[in-house]
Amino acid sequence: MSAAARPVRVAVPRGDLRTPVGERLAAASFRAPGYLEGSRTYRFDVEGVEGVQVRVFSDQDIPIQVALGQYDLGIASGTWIDELLVRYRHDSVVPLRPLDIAGETLVVAGEPGASLARLAEAGVVRVATEYPQIAHHYLTRLRVPDYRLYEVWAQAEAWPPRDAELAIAPASAVAKEGLAVLGTVHRGGVWLIANREALATRDLSAALGPLLSLPRATAEGGLVDPPPLAATRGTSRPAPSRERFRIAVPDGHAQRHTVAALADAGIAFPGYEASSSVRYPESDDPEVEVKVMRPQDMPRAVALGHFDLAISGRDWLRAFLATFPSAPVVELCDLRRSKYQMGAVISEDLPVGSIEEAIALWRRDDPQRPIRVASEYASLADEYARTRHLGRYRVIPISGASEGFVPEDAEILIEGTETGTTLRANRLRMIDVIMESTNCVIGHAAAPDGARGARRAEYVARLRAAAEAVA
Amino acid sequence: MTANPTVAHPPAEESAMPDRGLHSPGMRDLGPAEMRRFRTAERRFLDAVEGAGYLEIRTPTIEPLHLYTAAGTLSPQALERVYSFLDWDGWSGERVVLRPDATVAAARWYADAVRAGGASTARVAYVAPVYRFAAEGDREVWQCGVELFGAPAAEGDRELLTLAAGFLRGLGARDVAVDLAHAGLVRATFAAAGLSPAQQVEAYDLMLEGDAGVTERLAQAHPEQATGLRLLAGVDGHSAGYIQNLRAALLATVPAAAGPLDDLAGAAAALDAAGVPYRVLAATARNFEYYSGVTFRFRQGADAEARTLIGGGRYDGLTRTLGGASAPACGWGGDLLRLAEVAS
Repeated sequence: MSAAARPVRVAVPRGDLRTPVGERLAAASFRAPGYLEGSRTYRFDVEGVEGVQVRVFSDQDIPIQVALGQYDLGIASGTWIDELLVRYRHDSVVPLRPLDIAGETLVVAGEPGASLARLAEAGVVRVATEYPQIAHHYLTRLRVPDYRLYEVWAQAEAWPPRDAELAIAPASAVAKEGLAVLGTVHRGGVWLIANREALATRDLSAALGPLLSLPRATAEGGLVDPPPLAATRGTSRPAPSRERFRIAVPDGHAQRHTVAALADAGIAFPGYEASSSVRYPESDDPEVEVKVMRPQDMPRAVALGHFDLAISGRDWLRAFLATFPSAPVVELCDLRRSKYQMGAVISEDLPVGSIEEAIALWRRDDPQRPIRVASEYASLADEYARTRHLGRYRVIPISGASEGFVPEDAEILIEGTETGTTLRANRLRMIDVIMESTNCVIGHAAAPDGARGARRAEYVARLRAAAEAVA
Repeated sequence: MTANPTVAHPPAEESAMPDRGLHSPGMRDLGPAEMRRFRTAERRFLDAVEGAGYLEIRTPTIEPLHLYTAAGTLSPQALERVYSFLDWDGWSGERVVLRPDATVAAARWYADAVRAGGASTARVAYVAPVYRFAAEGDREVWQCGVELFGAPAAEGDRELLTLAAGFLRGLGARDVAVDLAHAGLVRATFAAAGLSPAQQVEAYDLMLEGDAGVTERLAQAHPEQATGLRLLAGVDGHSAGYIQNLRAALLATVPAAAGPLDDLAGAAAALDAAGVPYRVLAATARNFEYYSGVTFRFRQGADAEARTLIGGGRYDGLTRTLGGASAPACGWGGDLLRLAEVAS
């Protein structure tokens, strides 16, 4: 279909923004039946408007989709728009209108009593954030002489004070974690954005008209340029030494399986149950500290030496090592739970028997056509594209709503599936298996000395024995 | 929002990457003929500087980003255009950068060399690419340059200006003139007008962009310094006499200008001796916060068509900012491909 003939594509957010955006769209006579109601469908028509298609994405994916030209218009948080534009200013996103929808403010936070000036003066400042480009922009303007950015998947606010000096994170999350706000980094906001080329060359008025009538915000939000600190480069901050054994356990989908694996091994962390959300559960051993965090961020935290053990997934370990092959983190024990297959997923409608045949089909009319590979595991998608010799390809990092990408927004999805049910429901199939993932125990490549090393060996032995017994 | 509507945008395509052939944007090949010219210019550069006692060094293409992020190195605006990324050790949170500036890399080399017991005075030269994002034009620029560490300011400035003039003469560059300025002079004047360091940078950039309004606004807010500000920003001097006039206009209200004016007078005398015409401006260098003293650019041609062949200046605080011993330092560099074009 030519660009001129295809429908006007509008990307709208799911999650917390779905309700306020859906309400305003309905009030502006731009109603996509099912969107406001939280339908699990990814694509919607617009009631009474011909030639317009609405697609639901995770908020943070929308600026990328609009920048790529896959969507003509989008509504997204100012933080995610600026996370793209602050680094890629030449990109093809045009901010059109700030909407009167509350968006999260980003702040820089540390432990109560902390001071940005003192931290900057004292040596290397470790900063955890989901927004590395905005953080880089802020910290260079603040003139922090030397900093390290920990680019985490989520819950950056959980890193200070033990695992980082600072977090740059949403204000509400920081408050919940009990951190002190030390400065505002981004004033938030929600924006209507457009692809520059689409604005210049296509008639978008069927969607643009009603969307430009959405109520406008009184303030534009956006990046904050902090006044520079007068800090000079300090001496290296000494690495914190610790005596206590630290173990990280996951929240989210993996929590239930981990609770069961620990119980089988006779290990109890009161407060860490299948449905609890305590950050620091207890341990009956006073020399053991337990922390709940996202399994995606565990390989980095272990490599950094923050934890002696962590229970994560093999998928996340492999994704981390695909990006940083020399990172000192290894799998110590397979817990054999939470088993699923990770692989290359394509449309069920493609009449092919292998990924090679699929590539040949996609490139039948245009040998230079780039193959789009979408995945939450961007490093694994990149590794797959390289090793399977996809030739010219483009990795599209995504953060959710993944089953909706193929075939319209990507040719291949790198995705995990336990039973295949969700894939089949979305007319998808796995054509190439990359790996089998289970949850596993990971640790630093160099075992710690002394009591911590002995405790690590004991925990691994107990967890391994329990896993083998269950299998 | 940060979108910049003034820069060129690649066309978006439906499910297709922009077709740039097999080139990465901003990068270019050098064919045999261009390489021959490149090597000729490079040889003349190395002959000229080695004859003056400058020894060639080579620093890595990849450096830690933190070398460039501290105040007194690159400006935040310049940092937005560097190629920084996470390499295989990036799990530690440390970013690396493709060398965006050769002077900072050379200063890092000097700090390491002195720490390892090397001489406190060093004359070094380099030929190396630097990488900075540009919406149009080259993103990889081959620079040749020299750095002089440890020599007293007046002597060092004079030596470098004379060396640059001699190199360009040997290269066969014609119609060359110099723009001179002093970073410390502008800073002292702005500071006396009550501007914070951040406001000084902003006003300096506006002045470089030719915004006469910034001077006028400052002059009206600080009438006691109006004459000095207007003379500094509004009149381009062409002789040592102009520097004397600045002295008369500024010193009563900006006593800190005395040292910078002495430096400028010394630089002007060196150019007089080398027979190179010059003019004295308020500012010549942007995006490089490390400049602390005389700055200069050797240009070819008149204003509208002028192109900079060599730029440089004094940066006494840089080695200290990088964690090394404090040392007076100055240097200059030029785009070797551009220099190859003007070589006779």
